[in-house]
Amino acid sequence: MKAAAGWLARRLGFYVIAAIVAVVLNFLIPRLMPGDPASVLFARFQGDLDPEAIEGLRKTFGLQDAPLHEQFYSYISALAHGDLGLSVAYFPTPVSEVLGEGLMWTGLLAGGAVLISFVLGSSLGALAAWKKGGPLDTVLPPLLAFLGAFPYFWLAMLAAWVFGFQLDWFPLRHAYADNLAPSFSWPFIQSVISHAFLPALTMVLVSLGGWLLAMRNTMIGVLGAEHVRYAQARGLTPRRILVHYAARNALLPNVAGFGMALGFVLSGALLTEVVFSYPGTGLLLLTAVRGQDYPLLQGLFLAITFAVLSANWLVDVVTVALDPRTRT
Amino acid sequence: MTRIFTSLWKSRQARVGMGLLLFFFLMAFVGPFLVGDPLAFDGRPLLGPSAEHWLGTTGQGQDVLAQTVVGARTTLLVGLITGSLVVLIGALVGGLAGTLGGKTDDGLSLLINIFLVLPGLPLMVVLAAWLPAGPVSMCAVLVLTGWAWNARVLRAQALTLRQRDFVAAAQVSGESWIRILFVEILPNMTGLMVSSFIGATIYAVGAQVGLEFLGLGDLGVVSWGTNLYWASNDQALLTGSWWTFVPTGFCIALLGFALTLINFGLDAVTNPKLAHPQRVGPTPFIPSAVTPSPVSRAAKP
Amino acid sequence: MVVVAQEQQATWIRNFNPLVPTSARWPTSAGVYEPLYIFNEATGEWVPWLATDSSWSEDATELRFEIRQGVRWSDGQPFTAEDVAFTFNMMKEVPGADLGGVWGFLESVVAGETQVTFTFQRPYVSGLQAISQQAILPEHIWSSIESPLLEQNPDPVGTGPFTEVSTFRGQVFQLDKNPYYWQELEVEALRFPALSSNDQASIALIRGELDWAGIFVPAVERTYLARDENYQAWFPTQGGTIFLYANTQVEPLDNPKVREALSLAIDRQRLVEVAMYNYTTPSRPTALSDGYSDWEDSSLKGWTDFDAQRAGELLDQAGLKKGKDGMRTLPDGSELTLSITSPAGWSDWVRAVQVIAGDLRNIGLDVQVKGYDFSAWYERVGRGDFELSLGWSEQGPSPVPMYKALMDPSAVVKVGEPSFRNWHRYGSEKAAPLFAAFDATPDPLEQARIVNALQQIFVDEVPAIPLFPAPAWGEANHTHITGFPSAQDPYAPLSPNAVPACLLVMTRLEAK
Repeated sequence: MKAAAGWLARRLGFYVIAAIVAVVLNFLIPRLMPGDPASVLFARFQGDLDPEAIEGLRKTFGLQDAPLHEQFYSYISALAHGDLGLSVAYFPTPVSEVLGEGLMWTGLLAGGAVLISFVLGSSLGALAAWKKGGPLDTVLPPLLAFLGAFPYFWLAMLAAWVFGFQLDWFPLRHAYADNLAPSFSWPFIQSVISHAFLPALTMVLVSLGGWLLAMRNTMIGVLGAEHVRYAQARGLTPRRILVHYAARNALLPNVAGFGMALGFVLSGALLTEVVFSYPGTGLLLLTAVRGQDYPLLQGLFLAITFAVLSANWLVDVVTVALDPRTRT
Repeated sequence: MTRIFTSLWKSRQARVGMGLLLFFFLMAFVGPFLVGDPLAFDGRPLLGPSAEHWLGTTGQGQDVLAQTVVGARTTLLVGLITGSLVVLIGALVGGLAGTLGGKTDDGLSLLINIFLVLPGLPLMVVLAAWLPAGPVSMCAVLVLTGWAWNARVLRAQALTLRQRDFVAAAQVSGESWIRILFVEILPNMTGLMVSSFIGATIYAVGAQVGLEFLGLGDLGVVSWGTNLYWASNDQALLTGSWWTFVPTGFCIALLGFALTLINFGLDAVTNPKLAHPQRVGPTPFIPSAVTPSPVSRAAKP
Repeated sequence: MVVVAQEQQATWIRNFNPLVPTSARWPTSAGVYEPLYIFNEATGEWVPWLATDSSWSEDATELRFEIRQGVRWSDGQPFTAEDVAFTFNMMKEVPGADLGGVWGFLESVVAGETQVTFTFQRPYVSGLQAISQQAILPEHIWSSIESPLLEQNPDPVGTGPFTEVSTFRGQVFQLDKNPYYWQELEVEALRFPALSSNDQASIALIRGELDWAGIFVPAVERTYLARDENYQAWFPTQGGTIFLYANTQVEPLDNPKVREALSLAIDRQRLVEVAMYNYTTPSRPTALSDGYSDWEDSSLKGWTDFDAQRAGELLDQAGLKKGKDGMRTLPDGSELTLSITSPAGWSDWVRAVQVIAGDLRNIGLDVQVKGYDFSAWYERVGRGDFELSLGWSEQGPSPVPMYKALMDPSAVVKVGEPSFRNWHRYGSEKAAPLFAAFDATPDPLEQARIVNALQQIFVDEVPAIPLFPAPAWGEANHTHITGFPSAQDPYAPLSPNAVPACLLVMTRLEAK
């Protein structure tokens, strides 16, 4: 148990360092690149912004004349108070306010898609390995590799066109029906599911192949391992061996990859959201890019990074809970 | 290299992949001379496929076939250049970390792992938004966000090689680490570097198309990503003009598929026993931290 | 309840500050706050709104408005002449709020019992338009707000028909009717789903999810009207004109011959077909749309007919010779690259700039297309940070506002300073006295003579390049709501983009 706690602490330390790197990158990128977004605001509000507001904007955009380390200090202290500056596109709304629910919807969509894809892909992979050379094992991997080669958003466009627009089976935009107020009622949950279905489906289709192959290959290794052969020799039912011995052991390395996959699927989710007008961070990212809303862009990057890092650490915790070996 | 190629040729999947790849190379580098100007307005907008325009016209009345063919060139070029740069950096950083070991390895590994865990697309978008649009910026952004995968894989390989006798012998005989890295380690990782290059190219094509779709590329250039951007801008869904986005999408998928197939074949060559299957780069669609290995064994017992 | 689509936003941000139009939600000036008069573009009439009457002094230096009695703010407070005076005097204090630049000609604004008197620095007939369209704010709320431009005004208090924010979420918001509104209202609320792009908005429209919209719909007959007999679309082209603005502060666009060449190089027939689905027609030489045919001097021959060869000759004469690669260079031989911009989400405009860029490439000009999100684009063109851009024109009861915005020297600001008109920074010394003369005369014959002279100057000096009259996008769905204007009953423009004229529609709509 002690070893596990130590390992988790080390992982946490690593994520903290990664977070610091992200913060520093976020600080440096706007200061090293050309471009002067603040002038946009100064120009529009000349004469009316009080000196404090202008100073605040200058800080946000890194336009102070102060030496870099002082700028960094004020940047960090603003960040510590959750102050990400003012959005340009939605001026004068603070970035933190614009971020709003976005992260939650992206998390729901990306998290849900990863989870479904992981469970489904791993199960199929285990089956494929179990019946090695069988129909499942011959057809699925190349097919899924082909599907996996499509850009997320392209499949999303196709799905939106066929199932949303032509067949009208699923809604084409938003995270829930506009006439519902968010609540923990069944109609609302149902609405959330039907709105997330198509975007999630495209993400699952694209990422399924990776999980299947990963599971299949580790599974083949595990099936050859001694304790599995021993179990077979003991005359346990194949089903029991598959579920209790082989699949369980083969799953562990995949769980470790789960956190990493989140980052990837998140990238896909951002693009898919754009196609489905899903009110997550992807759509905001696009708004920020098109509107040259740099403060919002920086804020989004930080928020998404922190979310991914936290998710990774959670996965580590789950890994420890599942895997006795990391505890020793 | 020849050795790798001849053994690759034995794999049916790799042959299919290489055939497809050859097709795309022809399309990218010869095709543009066979089709018309992709930016010329030589038809009414949004015409369906016909004898005159085999794949119809775009919302601006440009020939979809010409755009798809010419788009292959930009996309493939950016993909290949990025792929090479990514492998180069990956080999240097990974090789260095693996060869030197110790504190250097700890530091570089930390750097690699941090870049692995930072979400790629938002970082790309932030960078691409600040840089002026164009192929050079695009490459820079893709390299900066994509090098870590290869560095990780190549470091692991370098680390393994370091344990081998011939490297140990070289170390004992007092050879400099630079010589060890370039003479003993890197040449012995060619297979892995080739597969890393392929993986990195898949990644670069996918990420590039994604960024361009968001409008972060140079809209004046014809590429697969901008084709999809325009299709979406011209309301392809609403007008039911599927021909404006289906051909490009299929090309992207087929190219990715071809490269994946080659890599499957390559994995079988470099790792016949699949004892320690290595992932080959940050393909955006395969959760790469886990280690899937070739399908080749699935196809044949 | 009327479901409306006018803005395209990924997510709604609660801002109802009429002084910051780029950040405020559309109903801010179209439902919440109201002006003194509304100019009805469909009929060419001035409709008294918060004022009931107006009168000029003999020398056109004093304008007096009679304020409507019995109007109340949505919090129940009475609306008075003081509110009107307060609004204008605040705009003097806060220059950033004076979007129409009224203090450029105003001397003072004084409230009487039921009247407000505007005194001008000089005779200025056009002042009526700028003053009467200003949204009026309640003094009892805004007098205590310290930085009016930084206010988000989440719970607005206005005199308009729809003021009560009953729902506000990222993907939808709703304004219920003002309990104290001064007219009868037949609909209960306006509702706004967040639609992030033209595509999303058109799809929602086609599926009958919207009652009222002002969006470009491709091939509207086939994609929209054919689906349901309750669907209506009306795209009149009587208002403004879409221009290609060439920044006259940038070499070589400062040369009128170069601008003329650009204009000749554009195949407008193709342009309206490809970019506008033939919803409009190529611009006339005078840039005037159908709505101003009474004013037009149709004898003028300009440079709006497609003639690529002549365009090439003009560029050669201007010293922009073709290099070895077939692309033209500046007279000193240095590279010449022009960028052309438009808001990224406006698919019709984006297509138009593509076509124009293609046409210009054909005469050897290296033209790059750049798309920005609307607010970013708006900031750029406003500051003069562009080379070529699509843009709209000013509209008004006469062609003068348009020409004034195109070439009045007093409307020209330095590059880098924001401007809401004359983005291309062009001032014509010949036209300046004509504008002054027009503003000082109420005589229609004299006005017509002046407008004729302005058209001649426009054709001579090429301040900007007219492309086509702008269709006013308006779509309605009569399934749940009736009372929309139409070509048969053109009591007002159908388009909700016509702010504040859409107030005329809102107050006429009825739920079925």
